[in-house]
Amino acid sequence: MSAPFKEAADVQGNILRGYRKPHVRHLVLEVTDCNAARRWLAACISGRSDGVPQITTEAPWTTKPHTCFNIGLTSEGLRALRAPSLDEFPREFIEGMSARAKKIGDTGPSAPETWPAPFNEPKRVHLIATIYADAIAQLDSVQHHALADGGGLRLLGAFDGQSFPHDLVHFGYRDNISQPRFEGIHDPKGYEDAQPMAPLGTVLLGYETNFEGLMWHVPKDVGHNGSFNAFRVLAQDVAGFDAYLDTAATELLGHPNVDDLLLPGAEATIGHGLSRHAALREVVAANMCGRWRNGVPLALSPDTDKPPHKVALNNFDFVGDSRCPYGSHIRRSNPRGGQIVQRVANHSRRIVRRGMPYGPAYDPAKPDTKERGLLGSFLGANLGAQFEAMSCDWLNLGLHDPRVTGSNDPLVGANEPETSWFDLPLKSGPPIRLRGLPRFVRTRGGAYTFLPSISAIRYLGALTN
Amino acid sequence: MDNSSEANSSEARRLVDAVISDFPDHKPGTRPVHTLGVGVEGYFVASEVARTYCIAEHFRGQRVPASVRFSNGSGSPVRHDGWSDVRGMATRFRLADGAATDLIAMTLGEFFARTVEEFFEFTKAAQPKPIQKESPWRKILDMLQLKLPLDDPNPGETASAAAGMLDYANRHRFAQLGVFQAAKIGAPVSYARATYHAVHTFVVIAPDGVRRHVRFSWQPVAGVRTTEPDAAKRDDYLHQELKDRLRPRFPARFMLMMTIGEAGDAFDDPTRPWPAKRVRVVMGTLTLTKVAEDQAAAGEHISFNPCRLAHGIEASGDPILHARRDAYEASRELRGGASCPFNRS
Amino acid sequence: MPSGVGWFEGFVDGLPNNRVFKFVASRILVPYWAWRTPVKPLEGGPPPSMQPGDNVQCMMNLIMPLKDKSPIGRALAALAVAQNKDEIFAGLDNVGTVHFARFVIVDNNICMFSVYDGDFTNYIRDFVATIGSVFNNVVALVEKGETVMPCEQNVEAFIEWVHERDMYQVPDLATDLFKDQEAMNGSKAASGNDDLRQLPPRLILQLNANPNVSLGSGYRAYPGYSAAQVRHKLGLGW
Repeated sequence: MSAPFKEAADVQGNILRGYRKPHVRHLVLEVTDCNAARRWLAACISGRSDGVPQITTEAPWTTKPHTCFNIGLTSEGLRALRAPSLDEFPREFIEGMSARAKKIGDTGPSAPETWPAPFNEPKRVHLIATIYADAIAQLDSVQHHALADGGGLRLLGAFDGQSFPHDLVHFGYRDNISQPRFEGIHDPKGYEDAQPMAPLGTVLLGYETNFEGLMWHVPKDVGHNGSFNAFRVLAQDVAGFDAYLDTAATELLGHPNVDDLLLPGAEATIGHGLSRHAALREVVAANMCGRWRNGVPLALSPDTDKPPHKVALNNFDFVGDSRCPYGSHIRRSNPRGGQIVQRVANHSRRIVRRGMPYGPAYDPAKPDTKERGLLGSFLGANLGAQFEAMSCDWLNLGLHDPRVTGSNDPLVGANEPETSWFDLPLKSGPPIRLRGLPRFVRTRGGAYTFLPSISAIRYLGALTN
Repeated sequence: MDNSSEANSSEARRLVDAVISDFPDHKPGTRPVHTLGVGVEGYFVASEVARTYCIAEHFRGQRVPASVRFSNGSGSPVRHDGWSDVRGMATRFRLADGAATDLIAMTLGEFFARTVEEFFEFTKAAQPKPIQKESPWRKILDMLQLKLPLDDPNPGETASAAAGMLDYANRHRFAQLGVFQAAKIGAPVSYARATYHAVHTFVVIAPDGVRRHVRFSWQPVAGVRTTEPDAAKRDDYLHQELKDRLRPRFPARFMLMMTIGEAGDAFDDPTRPWPAKRVRVVMGTLTLTKVAEDQAAAGEHISFNPCRLAHGIEASGDPILHARRDAYEASRELRGGASCPFNRS
Repeated sequence: MPSGVGWFEGFVDGLPNNRVFKFVASRILVPYWAWRTPVKPLEGGPPPSMQPGDNVQCMMNLIMPLKDKSPIGRALAALAVAQNKDEIFAGLDNVGTVHFARFVIVDNNICMFSVYDGDFTNYIRDFVATIGSVFNNVVALVEKGETVMPCEQNVEAFIEWVHERDMYQVPDLATDLFKDQEAMNGSKAASGNDDLRQLPPRLILQLNANPNVSLGSGYRAYPGYSAAQVRHKLGLGW
């Protein structure tokens, strides 16, 4: 194992290692008084246990704390705090997520013009403070301490999320299986992952990046050990997703090549006691994602979600005869070592995902129209090179593989039913093409935030200009 | 059913009347616009890929006889081939068993209005108003502001719709492209040397059932050429030019280009063009063979309709396209044109 | 000239071609109007769009004025490209999204014209990772190039620098120029009080602010396909 990362205590937590707390609350805040806000920042790293909650860092824990607390600043927030080096930040961060809508696919029902408060006024979104806890009462308590004396901050909105058992998310998949594992943080032998260990520069400014020889610019005084987050509120149309699986399965039952997709009788190997129709639904769901609902990757087990020999869920690559569709979600968002058009770009657009479901679980027996989805945090050292690059060329457009170019991600892409398509590969012969996929995920808000290091927070808290 | 067809036909009459009102010297019994034209015979052969995009009969690859009528856009009975004007190319593909499918196209790529109401407003604005040459002092003032002086009226032209159309376009962004292009469209040296666009979006159905939104254009193999804007304008040359060309002398072929739209392109809005970056398919070649002997039948009585479509092609939701269906029928009845049954529409 | 037209009218009609008038127009009228109604330079590159056809075969038209505006300076630029031919080709192959690319020297500018797929910043960034050294060699010869060298250490700034030198693409529909200018000024009117007769002066003033422009988005023989799709369909491997 390479030398342990010495500056861990300077980096905010939940970036290199996930907290894995069951409850989260994101507080969207506006700076109303620059100097009071600066004092608040100084207070949250002061070490005092009363008053403003203390920022949790990446310093290794002896005992896991009950609650964790972290902050992110938007470019408008840095401007409100009169941070001197704002113009050294990258263009996409300064423009803000709503201005980048056409690039990242926030169009139509996901367009920023449709976002409800507080993200409908991006210029007022300055700071997102996030609380992680084991129970909702703890969230309330930390929020109370954070905002008790005003602190020059106005609360514009709050978003609560809670995890489901077994890491399930609303579409029924097990999530959070694959994350970059960092040199100096994770034990390379502790987990079977066919991907190379990620350099710290994947998420932190000031370190070697995933691009050979490239270093991102580190803004003076505030950049080092910082990270960027694309925070997004993503509403999921679970009813629509289930309905599409039904339609697709029904269509497939009548397709001449369906036996190549699912051998007659093979429905016994998928799930438990499923009819052929239900098994086909699972096959479609697995192909759209790249993993079966229980997390078993198609690349290791294309025909059944219960492979006879236990598989390490992340110990695979997209090489050789991998029967994971080129257009599936996990392959678009992370092509690993597979053949892609942008040959130099393998592993260069990896991001850390810290997301939590929000809204009640959907019960098909009692359908409702409540909003539910994912509070997503997509972390990287450079938004343009990682989150945006993946969103605009791979998730949408599918430029990484000529066999899917012109189509969008089946789960999260900006799909229009008149023109969308998705290919299901067969063991031999041409794929079966599904059409008419609607958009299942709608963006309901979000912001690009910068996650400053402890030293950076100290610097901002001490500003007097 | 009865009520709506009555409403449609009264709206259709109003449309025809509105269009006629833009041409004060219009002669009853003739077409409201594109009054003067010439009928031409020819044949169409689809490309080898056409049938993979559309199951319509004329795209199967066999030689399909075609009747074409070229026309000048104006509704006036006085012929001025050389004046700047939109040209039309209406094609009837003659299918088996007396069936037919029409494709109506013009040299303007975009229309002026998105809905029937907007079109009525446009026809009002486009009623000719008296014009005079701009005074030289006015022209100097324009040039000092870096503006182009207005074109001098044609010899003998005392009224023009140009100012009204310009005013309409200034107030309605969607009409700007149509008006802008129409103003500078000029006169082609030959009907066979212009590109004709069908403007509206249609839906073609492929053998595997996939539906695609498409737009059609006729591209001249001989290339596009317009007369010199400064040269003296001749009033009657296009009909004879076709006769000479089809002796045969020079090519008189058109390629049918089909552009495939993507989600987000304007399907129901004929005022918005599609970007040049859309996939373009060559659907076939139309070869003109001779100017029809019986111009009364081939040039006048024949009645095209943009909604006469073979099985395999459908109209999009474009409201102007749908309005044209009844308007063309109303106009045909008014002038006593030959009727042709619709294909199970 | 038709009879009945006075000499003055004829003179005025001929003014646009009159040498003295053209001199007055370009040296006095244009600067006057540029001062009275200032026009901001418009950004380069293709306009952003979500549609797949708009995101393949995008045009980049890069104009980079050389520091040394002499035959020697041009020869140095030519050498910088010629000596790095292998690196350039390897970079183009491995970035994977470029259809065509060429370096051209025009007057005292070294220009790069290419047709690429996908997002502009991804394309440049992947290039910096593979052929950053070639960029450094070429950019060292260009005015203000030193501000972004070495490009591997100034990636974001380098991408901005290239973007600033990518030509504005005048819309295919001339009337869209109104929309572009308004968007630059931050308004999003749908229909308005336009004056189509203002198109010529607006165009002239825009070309005063953006002297080098690409006219329209260009012609494509097989629009709508990425480079990898073409190679794949032709059986050439990708």
